[in-house]
Amino acid sequence: MDNKTVETISYLARLKLDKDKKEKITKDLENIIDFVAELQDLNTEDIVPLSNPLEKVAPKREDSVTSRNRKEAFLSNSPESDQDYFMVPKVVE
Amino acid sequence: MSWETVIGLEVHAQLSTNTKLFSSASTKFGSEPNTQVDLVDLGLPGVLPVVNKDAFKKAIRFGLAIDADINQESSFDRKNYFYPDLPKGYQITQMTKPIVEGGSIDIDVDGDKKTINITRAHLEEDAGKSIHDAYPDKSVIDLNRAGTPLLEIVSEPEISSAKEAVSYMKALHQLVTFLDVCDGDMSQGSLRCDANVSIRKVGDPELGTRTEIKNINSFRFIEKAINFEIKRQIKVLESGKKVTQETRLYDSGKDETRPMRSKEFANDYRYFPDPDLLPVVISDDEMEEIRSTFPELPADKSRRYISEFQIDESEAEIISSSRELSIFFEVALESKNDPKLAANLIVGEIGSLLNKDNIKIDESKLSSDNFNILLQRISDGTISKKIAKTILAAIWETGRNADEIINEQGLVQIQDENLLEEVITKVIKSNTKQVEDFKNGKDKLFGFFVGQVMKETQGKANPKAVNDLLKKALNS
Repeated sequence: MDNKTVETISYLARLKLDKDKKEKITKDLENIIDFVAELQDLNTEDIVPLSNPLEKVAPKREDSVTSRNRKEAFLSNSPESDQDYFMVPKVVE
Repeated sequence: MSWETVIGLEVHAQLSTNTKLFSSASTKFGSEPNTQVDLVDLGLPGVLPVVNKDAFKKAIRFGLAIDADINQESSFDRKNYFYPDLPKGYQITQMTKPIVEGGSIDIDVDGDKKTINITRAHLEEDAGKSIHDAYPDKSVIDLNRAGTPLLEIVSEPEISSAKEAVSYMKALHQLVTFLDVCDGDMSQGSLRCDANVSIRKVGDPELGTRTEIKNINSFRFIEKAINFEIKRQIKVLESGKKVTQETRLYDSGKDETRPMRSKEFANDYRYFPDPDLLPVVISDDEMEEIRSTFPELPADKSRRYISEFQIDESEAEIISSSRELSIFFEVALESKNDPKLAANLIVGEIGSLLNKDNIKIDESKLSSDNFNILLQRISDGTISKKIAKTILAAIWETGRNADEIINEQGLVQIQDENLLEEVITKVIKSNTKQVEDFKNGKDKLFGFFVGQVMKETQGKANPKAVNDLLKKALNS
C-alpha cells in the first residue's frame, strides 16, 4: 500500500486527507490487507463465490405505486434548493 | 487503403413499469420535478431497496424473445462514481450475474439479412436529471427519473456500418415495443444507445482502438454520429496518428462528435456485490407464467392475419409491424367487423393521417369504439367508403362520434332508387354528346357518368346502386 494508491482511492471516494491522516490510513490499510491476506492461502478452487452471507433470496415487490409526493419535505431538508429542484455547485462550466 | 468498421451497441431500454426498480415511486414521464421520489431514490441512510417483480418479468420476456439464456438466479452490484444526479454515489447494476445472457437479433439491411449476437442484457437503475442552464453558477437536479428500471442490451461487435447499426436499432425498437417491455419513445429517452466504434485495415485480425459515443437518441443521429466518427478515425490513422480510447458526445447541431472531459468519468468503478440486495431467484413456476403470457410477435401475427382473415400480405405486414396498430385492428375485429374493410382503412386512410401528424394510433382522437361505429355504418350501407374518408378526417380533428357527424352533415348514403334515377336522368340530359359517344362504343365513358352522379350527390350515392341504374338507363 503506497502513497499513490491511497491518494487515488481517497480521490475516488472524494475524501480529503491531510499528510498525518494519510500516513496513518496507509498503515491501517496495510494492516487490514495483511490480516485478510491469510485467505489467499486457502484452496477455493471449487467454491462458488458468496455474494451474500444470508442463505436467502430477495423478496419481490408488486409493481404498484404506493409512494407519495414528498417534494417539499425533501427539498427543505437539502442544503440548497429552489421551489422545484435540488441545487448543487455548477457541474459543467 | 481500405478500412473496415467494427461497431458494438449498448442500448438502454427504459422498462415500461409503473414503479422504479427498487422503490414504489412512479416512473411516469413529464411530471413536476422531484414529485416522484422515494426515500430509496434519495439514497437516505437506513433505507433498503426491494426489487420490482415486473422489471424482471419484462427483462425475461425480452430474453426469451431473442432466444437467450435466462439466469434464474441473478444478482446486483454497485458501480461507484460521483455525480450529483446519482444520490447514493453508486449505481445498482448487474455486473457479474446478469438476468439475460446470449441470444441474437436478425436485421435486414436493404434486403440483406444478418444476425447480430447479443452478449448480455442486464437490469440497472437510471440516474436523475441534471440541468445546467437554469442558473449561472449552479446546477439543479430532478430525481424523478432516478431509479427507473433500465435494461441494458449489449451487442457483440458484429455491426459493420452505420446503416447496419440503424437496422439493428430499428429491429430492437420493434421488438421491445411489441413485447411491451419499453414504450420505445426515443425523444423522451426511453430507448437510447451508446455506440462503440473502431476501424481497422481490411483483413486485420486485431481490433482497432475504439471510442464510445454516448447517449444517441434518434435513428437519424445514430447513422450520422457513427459515420462522422468513422471518417474522423480514418483521418487520424491516415495522418499517422493513433486513435485515443475515449468517450465522445455527438453534437447534432454541428454534426460532429467531440471528447467528453475525461475527469467527469474516471473509469474506475470499483464494482462489488451490493450487500443490500440478496440474489434474485426466478422460480420455474414464475418462468412458466412468463412463457404463458408471451405476446405474439410481428411475423407470426402477419401470417395469422393472412390465413385467418384473408387480408392482403402488404396490409398484414404493415399492421402487424406496429403494436398499437395491431391492437387497434384486433379490437375492431372483436365486434365482428369486416376484416378486409378494417385493414384497408387502417393502412390507407388512417395510415396517411398518422403519418401526416407523426403520431401513433393511441395518441390520435380516433377511439376503437368510434372506428367500430364507422365500420358498421359502411357495412350496413348507411355511408359509402368514400364518405367514410370525410368522416374519418372530421373525427381526426374533433374526436366526435361518427354517427353524430353523419347525421349533422347529412352524409347518409342515398339508396333511394327514385331519387337516384332522377339524378341519372339529369346527368344524361345535360351530357348528350357523351351519351352519344358511349352508345357508339366508347365504354370508358361509363366512369365519367358515375363521376357526374357522385358529384351531383356530393359523393353520397350508393356506388353499387348507381352502377346498376346507370347501366339500365344508358342501355335503354
